[in-house]
Amino acid sequence: MKTWSELTEIQPLASRIMTNSIQKDRISHAYLLQGERGTGKEAVALLLAKTLFCSNRSGVEPCQECNACKRIDSGNYPDLHWIEPDGQSIKKEQIEHLQKEFTYSGMETDQKVYVVKGADTLTPNASNRILKFLEEPSKQTTAILMTENSSSIIPTIRSRCQIIDLKPLHPQAFQEQLIHQGISRRSAVLLSTLTNNLDEAVSWSEDEWFAQARKLMIQLVETFSTNAHDAYLFIHQQWLPHFKERPQQEQGLDLLLLAFKDILYYHIGRKDAMTVFAKDDAAIENLVLFFSQEKLLDILNKLLDAKRKLKQNVHPTLVMEQLTIQIQG
Amino acid sequence: MKFIVQRQQLISSVQDVMKAISSRTAIPILTGMKIEANANGIILTGSDSDITIESFIPAEEDGMINVEQIEEGSVVLQARYFPDIVRKLPDNTVEIESDENFNITIKSGKAQFNLNGQDANEYPHLPNLQAENSFDIQSDLLKDLIKQTGFAVSAMETRPILTGVNITIENETLHFTATDSHRLASRRVPLEGVTSDSSNIVVPGKSLNELNKILDDTGEKVEISVMNNQILFRTKYLHFLSRLLDGNYPETSRLIPDQSQTVLHVRTKELINTIDRASLLAKEERNNVVKLTTKDNQLLQITSNSPEVGQVAEEISVQSLEGENLKISFSSKYMLDALKVIENDEVIIKFTGAMRPFVIQPADDDAILQLILPVRTY
Repeated sequence: MKTWSELTEIQPLASRIMTNSIQKDRISHAYLLQGERGTGKEAVALLLAKTLFCSNRSGVEPCQECNACKRIDSGNYPDLHWIEPDGQSIKKEQIEHLQKEFTYSGMETDQKVYVVKGADTLTPNASNRILKFLEEPSKQTTAILMTENSSSIIPTIRSRCQIIDLKPLHPQAFQEQLIHQGISRRSAVLLSTLTNNLDEAVSWSEDEWFAQARKLMIQLVETFSTNAHDAYLFIHQQWLPHFKERPQQEQGLDLLLLAFKDILYYHIGRKDAMTVFAKDDAAIENLVLFFSQEKLLDILNKLLDAKRKLKQNVHPTLVMEQLTIQIQG
Repeated sequence: MKFIVQRQQLISSVQDVMKAISSRTAIPILTGMKIEANANGIILTGSDSDITIESFIPAEEDGMINVEQIEEGSVVLQARYFPDIVRKLPDNTVEIESDENFNITIKSGKAQFNLNGQDANEYPHLPNLQAENSFDIQSDLLKDLIKQTGFAVSAMETRPILTGVNITIENETLHFTATDSHRLASRRVPLEGVTSDSSNIVVPGKSLNELNKILDDTGEKVEISVMNNQILFRTKYLHFLSRLLDGNYPETSRLIPDQSQTVLHVRTKELINTIDRASLLAKEERNNVVKLTTKDNQLLQITSNSPEVGQVAEEISVQSLEGENLKISFSSKYMLDALKVIENDEVIIKFTGAMRPFVIQPADDDAILQLILPVRTY
């Protein structure tokens, strides 16, 4: 996605909005790009920055050749500022740096562009500091905020940005891409539900850890149905040692969520939509017999609860223990 | 790129340039130092994006050859290791060479370093010089100007424009003004032969402090050029660039009272010492307040009172005291800051009432002006 025309194929609407405003020279002072992982938020931000800084662009397309374009790609353009979450959230110092930059003149040009990645991780304090700038933009300054979770952006910020919605990628098209990369259809289906990013999906499919994680997930679901009392032990002996880091724990819950969703799909006869289990898997019939529909709905709710708790920094061991007991009961 | 340079020259240039380089930068390339070689000599550049320092080593100077065997080119090398390497090299000359893959070879005596460099095209481009908007000033005068105004800039980011020093040129006068909204410091200097129109810019106080450190007061000429978004201070071998603060500086001339009710002539040194003593009992959380009371017989009383500590009172005789009697409280810190930068034996202090700002000026010079707001006490 290096040009606006390439972007049009994936995000027709967003691309239209942006190119039109460039052509009519009506670029907004702030954009809020919202869309899931891999929908091209960063590509849009980079393209917009290049369009603004490129010294010999043709029409709306930046040249990709000039010094400014190259330095934007390598992250060395002095008037383009990237703010990324440092760990869990965007820290106060980062916003202070940004505020300082707001008050200085540009280094090479009068144009300044600020990109805030993961704008949902701004603490309320930090968002309010940014507000000040969004309210009184200095001339020739463009802010680009990116988020996967648009609902956690405070309304005062939303109302001051032009919101660009990036459509989720078409899962079938993505699966085809993955199969094209030499990934088996079953893995492709599973991976496409977990990520929209092609590179990430390919690296996962080759990752020993991910294969093991998937195996553990199926084992855990089966343990619940055959030997519920062992589940607690299983969590401690197998699950927790494998899912160590926070992103891994979240992924583990995602996998469980998919598995239970599959069982529910089997119940209601939507066998085509299943992602983890194959249609004719013997295992799933046992599981369907064991879990009732009401029970499954309850489990899904509990899983979503557990995900939320992880996000709120509840200790992961406790989250998993509670979840196990809830599913057992 | 290739050249051979005298090590001593290189060391001092690298030291100057390193002052601008910080380890925490917004863009990765700025952790490096740019080296450019051309037929006239070599140029080292360092920057933290706020300030940029360029140091020039001429190929030949007063018959001395500093740089030889120059092949033109430029490269960016890692500033973390370069200064130490240069400092510890064995021989008096250093050979630096880079190839098209930005591999840098540093040779001196029998020692050889191979460093990975970066493309100089990635380095920020500095604005081109526009000669029309520039003027000359003596470096010691410039240092004075910075010293006499720079201390008064605001340390708070709530009004960012006040963290800078306002520099204006109008009617052949150069004017430096700084204020943090509780005090104001300003100084005028006549400029001769400036052809440029009036200009009005705000330079960050931090940048001026750095400039003050790097300039030596030998009285050499500094050429100041104001460009679109940067200001350049240029001495013979050193270029100092700073970004400007964006925005309009508040109009300060209205703040300065043009009449006065009480005028004091007082010896600077004595007043500094007296206020310094009184401030020992003044508390920082109460703005270091000291109180000045006029007495008869050309006497002043300076007092300070902290109920939980105790109190201090001291009388000081003044050269002359005209006008109404007065009781006024002010921050001893601001007063001392202002008095210390006035390098004159006697100062004039003009008051216009206990609730109005007062003005401090050297006795024989109205180019320097320090304004302080009093503190309301009960």
